[in-house]
Order: sequence, then C-alpha cells, then structure tokens
Amino acid sequence: MDRRQYEKLELIAFMGALCLFFSTIEYLFPKPFPFFRLGLANLPVLVTIKLFPPAYVLLLVLLKVLGHGLINGTLASYVFLFSTAGSFASAVVMLAAYYLCRDRITLLGISVFGALASNVVQIFLSVTFIFGRSAWIIAPPFMALGSVSGVVVGIFAQRFFTQSRWVAAIRTYYAPA
Amino acid sequence: MPTNRRRRRPPNRLKEHFNAMHLFLTGALVLPAYLFQPLLVVRIAQVLLFAGLAHLAGKRIMWIYFAITVASIAFFNLLTPFGRVLVSLGPLTITRGALEGGLMKGFTIVGLVFISLFSIRPDLRLPGRLGGLVARVFFYFERIIEGKKRIQARRLIASIDDVLEELYVPGSVAETAPVERIDTTALGYALMVAVLGLNWGLLLVQSHIDLVGWMTWV
Repeated sequence: MDRRQYEKLELIAFMGALCLFFSTIEYLFPKPFPFFRLGLANLPVLVTIKLFPPAYVLLLVLLKVLGHGLINGTLASYVFLFSTAGSFASAVVMLAAYYLCRDRITLLGISVFGALASNVVQIFLSVTFIFGRSAWIIAPPFMALGSVSGVVVGIFAQRFFTQSRWVAAIRTYYAPA
Repeated sequence: MPTNRRRRRPPNRLKEHFNAMHLFLTGALVLPAYLFQPLLVVRIAQVLLFAGLAHLAGKRIMWIYFAITVASIAFFNLLTPFGRVLVSLGPLTITRGALEGGLMKGFTIVGLVFISLFSIRPDLRLPGRLGGLVARVFFYFERIIEGKKRIQARRLIASIDDVLEELYVPGSVAETAPVERIDTTALGYALMVAVLGLNWGLLLVQSHIDLVGWMTWV
C-alpha cells in the first residue's frame, strides 16, 4: 500500500469517527417527535462522496455501521441489520445521484435521495420481518419525516462543505495534481 | 441546558469482570437457548434477565421505547385474527393466537436487542484489516469526543472546525495508544456459567416435559 492510499484510509477512519460524533451531537437540535432522528451521522458520508471514489465511501459506511453497532451494543440485533441495509442503500443511491448528475445536483438533493432510499429499505424490512403487511400504513408519515430529515441534513452538509476551513484543507490536499 | 436533561448512563459493572470476547461468546451461546424457548412466560423472564445484564453493562434501558415496540408489533399482529376470540373492540377482534404470536414476536425482538446490548462493547476487537480500521475509528472518536464541549450551536460550523483542525491535519497519521486488555475474573466466569446454565436448563427442562407428554400420549 502506498503512502497516499494509507493516508486516505486514515482520513476515512477519521471520517468514521466523525459519523459517530455527529450522532452524539444530535441533541443540540430540537426534535418535533420523540423518536425522530435527524441522521446527522450521514454528514461525513455526504462530504466524502464529493472527495473520494465510491469504494472509500462504501468503506466509510461500513465503518459507520460497525462503529454504531459496537458503541451502542446493537451489533447482534435487528437494529444493526436495519441500520446496515438502510445505510448501504442510501450510499448506493447517493453515489448514483452524484455520478449521474455531477455539478447539476447539490448535497441537499443527494441527501434527500439518500434519506428516501434508506427509509424505503427500512420500511420494507420492518414490514417483512417485524410488523407484517398491515404496517404499510406507517409508510407515508415515515417517508415524509425521512424527507424532512434529508432536507435538514442536506442543507447543513452543503453549508459545511462550502464554509468549513477543515474541508477546504482536505480538498486542497487531495485535489488531483 | 439539554445536557442536564439527559439521564446519566449507569456504571459498567460487567467490564471489570469480563474480557470483551468472552462477553461476546456468552451472548452468542445464549442466543439459541433464547430463540428456541417456546413458552411466552419464560421468554418474558429471559427478556427481563437480559435487560438486567444490559443495565449491569452500563447501558441505559429506554423502557418506554421497548414497551411501544412490543405493543406496536402485537397490535399489527392482531390485525390478522387467529385462534379463539377473546374480545371484540369495535372493528378490532382480539384473538388469542394473534395476541400470543404478536407478544412472542415483540419480546423476541426486544430480547435480542438486550442480548446485543450486554454482550457487545467497543473494545471487542474485530479480526483483520477491517478490525484495525475500526480500532482507528474509536481512537479518533475518543479524541473528538473530548472536544465535544467546545461545540456551540450558535457558531456550529466554526466551532466544529476548531476541533477538527486540532485533531486531524491532512496527510498526518496519529500514534495509537496500546489497548488495555481485561481478563475475565472468577466472578465473571461464574456469571457466564449461571446465565448459560439458566437459559439452556430452562430449554432442556421444557423439551423434556414436551417429550414426556408426547410419550404419554403415544
């Protein structure tokens, strides 16, 4: 492994730590509903999509779900299955949106696509494995809340990407020569 | 302040008595005895035991969240009537089979979360290069979390930048401190045997009763 690749992996590990960190500062933001989660942990994933190739983004998602599973102790439960499936579906859709639209899409649009993909997969899993077919009735409000969180995280990610001094330094360092 | 409203986590009393891998193995070995248990009453008792262990492991149990999970799974199960009718509430018919099935499913899922909560901890080392990367994630996470108090909602991006610039300079690789290894104590082994013995014992007794009943019937 060359030095550059090693440095990139180190940064991905740091981004993984940032994912865990952002999920712990969610309490700074008011919640409209008690079980509502903004999904701030996706912010480093969104930033990484614009910085690194897809393989690194998928590695970051893997580190994010494993880290969450180990810290919260949910690694051996259905929560981990839901989180993994939702996170990977979201990452794949966000990557597709970014590579198909490139400069025509902002992080806000990418984030909304990701949130919708994650919610569709999680509703599908909960209907299939936990609640049964009757649970499709929860899909519309769940999707609506998911879209709202996608917009909020997307707006914040876009601002962070354009205003952060730290992101600017990373972009300069890893910019193609 | 939001921080004051947050309940403190209980102390992790299992950590000093268990090696992370041994605790993980306890969770893995108890799993079949839990999943194959056919009696609802025993299943509920097991869930309470695992909740107690999760509490000992320093995890905050959100009882309302888990109660709502069980109740909602049971409710959706009731929408497909099955077995003897217990009571009719307007359009909803509560049947014994659907109610028991829903409760069994709900408690099973909640119990699996509790098993995971007590048996998985951050110092569980995953194998290979991926395990090494996960260890790096935790190394950085601990350092970032130290700067958490400096994050201000008013100047969010600038204050996050202050923390990040201090911790990660592009192209740098931070030195990792050696991880402290915890060995399982005699008390830890005793607890491990007790948890496994109790759960497997209940399953074996239940299977024996079923077998005797079947032989009597034959």
